[in-house]
Amino acid sequence: MILEVKNIAKSFGKNTILNDVSFGMEPSTLIGIVGENGSGKSTLLKIIVGEWKSNSGNISINGAVGYCPQKPLLFDQLTVREHFQYFSAAYNINRTLFQERSEALMNLFNYKKYEQVKVANLSGGTQQKLNLSLALLHKPQLLILDEPYSGFDWDTYLKFWDYTKHLISEGCAILVVTHLLAEKARFNRIYDLRNGILV
Amino acid sequence: MSLNRILISFSMIFRMLIRRRIIPILLAVIPVVFLTIVALTTSDRILPFRLASLEEEVFINISEKGISFVFFAVASAGFLVSFLALNLIQKNSEVNRRLVICGYKPLELLSSKLLSLLVVILLISVYVGLLTNMLFPIDHLAAFILSLVLIGLVYGCYGLTVGSLVKGELEGILFIVLLVNIDVGWLQNPLFYAEAQNQVIIQLLPAYFPSQTGIISAFTDYSPVNSILKSVLYGAVFLILSMLLFYNKMRLYR
Repeated sequence: MILEVKNIAKSFGKNTILNDVSFGMEPSTLIGIVGENGSGKSTLLKIIVGEWKSNSGNISINGAVGYCPQKPLLFDQLTVREHFQYFSAAYNINRTLFQERSEALMNLFNYKKYEQVKVANLSGGTQQKLNLSLALLHKPQLLILDEPYSGFDWDTYLKFWDYTKHLISEGCAILVVTHLLAEKARFNRIYDLRNGILV
Repeated sequence: MSLNRILISFSMIFRMLIRRRIIPILLAVIPVVFLTIVALTTSDRILPFRLASLEEEVFINISEKGISFVFFAVASAGFLVSFLALNLIQKNSEVNRRLVICGYKPLELLSSKLLSLLVVILLISVYVGLLTNMLFPIDHLAAFILSLVLIGLVYGCYGLTVGSLVKGELEGILFIVLLVNIDVGWLQNPLFYAEAQNQVIIQLLPAYFPSQTGIISAFTDYSPVNSILKSVLYGAVFLILSMLLFYNKMRLYR
């Protein structure tokens, strides 16, 4: 199993957000978690990636994780290319590989022409593409996506699903968290997060 | 810890600093404004005062203008560096957290920020030192520049500590302004200090030893080694504190 979430609970004061959440993911699977705004989806993801601590429960991850946060987390004053360079260092990717992969991702999502443009001067949609590309740069075995396609145009949306198909065929497990789920047939399983419980 | 990752992060941080045009402009303009105000407002009357940090009682006679140039040079360097350090830690903290999730170690990120801060401290110190020397001849320029480096280190590490501790930008600025104003901007002024009550309180504040190093090296041939060592010690305490706080802020729970 590439991801195993066991009995996760999280409260903020007296407000219980997650209550005994458990699920697992095998390689080459696509799992969706849906829920209303404020249902605890992003909290669960932050606990899975290690950003927040749960009150109880365990998480076990076997493989490299790619995390795409809901809000593009980027440096305003750096260019697209510099972002790839910075995150390649984080992933320990060598120069040749970083160039090859960043070129491929920029071509795939059609924003190569903005390579030398600062993030502050990019549109919201292009920032979202870069946000996603940074999570894909090291070819993760587990990809965690928080509302990944909210800023995409239709063409990019379709390319996104094509690419997920390709990733799954290579063994990657993908966890998509969203408040509105279309394309339900693509998912191996869809959970609904309600009152802190996965159903 | 990977040196390559520290250097890449350092180069990115430095690019970001330079590209935010307001930062290089402020760094260049603020010392000029401070020192110009001193030149325009202070008199040339000679004032005797005691060098506080020396064991023996030493009194020197210096013009009000001269002592004010030295004091405001130290103040402007401390002020600028602490703001910059606060900004370095607070700005982009969420993106830095993302880098940590992707594999950067918190200490690698902090080291690259320290390296950036150190380069800026050196640039500011040389710039302010030369500027002061143009307006008022300094006896030992290299040692005086060193005193500016020391105030930069002490207040830079203070800025890092505040930035790691306080989330809001406004609260952070308030912490910086409060201490910088009271300490560097007021109590360490030799003209005030000479007649101050409870001088031990002033001696415990962060800017005391760097200010003394500046005054000793600007006007006398006495050795400022004692003040230099105590400044470094003060800076080290803030540095360790800021490292612990930054690590706690950036660490992952997995």
